[in-house]
Amino acid sequence: MAGTVIGEGLTIEGDISGDEEIVIHGILRGRLTTTDAVTVGGTAVVGADITGASLSVAGQVTGDVTASERVDIQAGGKLVGDIKAARFTIADGASFKGNVDMEV
Amino acid sequence: MAESSVIGAGTVVSGHVRGQGSLEILGRVEGDVNVTGNVVIGPAGRVRGNVSGAQLTIAGQVQGDLRGTHAVLLEAGARVAGDISGPRVGIAPGALARGHITTDGEPTPALARSAAHAPAPARPAAPVPSAARPAARLAPPAPPIAPPPAARLAPPARPLPAPPPKLEAKAPPVAPKAPPQLQPQPQPQPQPQPQPQPRKAEASRAAPDATEAPRNRSPVELEFTPVRPIKPEPRRPPPPVVPVISKGTKAKKKKSHD
Amino acid sequence: MPRHPHEISVVGAATRVTGRISGNGVLRIEGMVKGDVNLNGDAEIAEGGSVEGNLHGESLDIGGSLLGDARAQSAIAVRSGAQVRGELRAAQVSIEAGARVSVRLETEFELDFGTAQRRR
Repeated sequence: MAGTVIGEGLTIEGDISGDEEIVIHGILRGRLTTTDAVTVGGTAVVGADITGASLSVAGQVTGDVTASERVDIQAGGKLVGDIKAARFTIADGASFKGNVDMEV
Repeated sequence: MAESSVIGAGTVVSGHVRGQGSLEILGRVEGDVNVTGNVVIGPAGRVRGNVSGAQLTIAGQVQGDLRGTHAVLLEAGARVAGDISGPRVGIAPGALARGHITTDGEPTPALARSAAHAPAPARPAAPVPSAARPAARLAPPAPPIAPPPAARLAPPARPLPAPPPKLEAKAPPVAPKAPPQLQPQPQPQPQPQPQPQPRKAEASRAAPDATEAPRNRSPVELEFTPVRPIKPEPRRPPPPVVPVISKGTKAKKKKSHD
Repeated sequence: MPRHPHEISVVGAATRVTGRISGNGVLRIEGMVKGDVNLNGDAEIAEGGSVEGNLHGESLDIGGSLLGDARAQSAIAVRSGAQVRGELRAAQVSIEAGARVSVRLETEFELDFGTAQRRR
């Protein structure tokens, strides 16, 4: 189970940094940095640059994302910002606007 | 050997309570309580004054500061308006408290004030090991229980404590007599009381309100001193112990002493 | 997708939040929060967790470290391993012996001294 879970009713204005999994179902405005996996749930609205080992987006993310492994945008998910990751997938029904840098 | 005392449920003590041993307060005290032992305030107990002791267990109501050298514990139903300090402080669910709560061991200024007049009557020998701790922690003010070592060695040198209403102010003039006062006197002399300085059970005469409690079981120093002296009395030599008895006078027991 | 309105949020032990947390729900803080926390639900600072800022919630359970003021609608409980410095305001505040505190309690209540009882 994830180390940090930001529930749907929560809003965080500021920076989140950690060394564990982070799951967001609520609202984040700021910055998100972890060495582990990041999951942006379907109800989440994130206005932040995200850095993690991996990122899965089912909600809304506005900001640049950097992952050491992979970035996956799920159906219904939306990312506006640049992706920097070794691998990425954009599912059918997902929305993406930005640049992709797959430099290893 | 520390004795334990009780202020009964129907008793009102108007004056400060001070001494060795532990104390259970089931009635009311209008004045400070300052003992070396534990203090238990029952659910119906009421204290309007500061309380200090080793472990304070409060189930009643206190308007004043609490200082326990070991712990202060508020049980459900307790109500305390004042500052609380001690190495361990517990407030149970159902207890209500309002004031500064500190477990640093530092006393609040109010406690230091009321403790400043604690004069020599504490035993010259170090009372409890914890007494050293308050002395170490409390730099400027006098510790609530044990006076600083300097004061113990030279009771007469202690300056007259400031607050005039408190009868402890009378202590220094009597200080040279302090040693006899400290020793437990199993039979208190049948002296009338010209001096406002009461001794043990004799206090019942000087302070009419402080009656039941000292009588039962405090051969050791529990002094009840009125908060306001009736009048500031000049020092007078004690009356002769044996009054002149004229011939034919029937022996009469004036008062019974325990 | 219907979600539980009070799903438990957690700031994990290896997570630090620098900023404000607000909203509805229950929050357990195992890591570090530097900023104010303003909740319409219960908040808990787990042992090892810390909050540097003000903490408002429905009820507060403080087992870790709090440097700031705390206000609860119902009750504040300070656990024995906690370290708290600030003002605590609630209808009921309890402190377990062993907690290290330097706090001011602003509990509203009246003392009931009644009339002096006369000795019988």
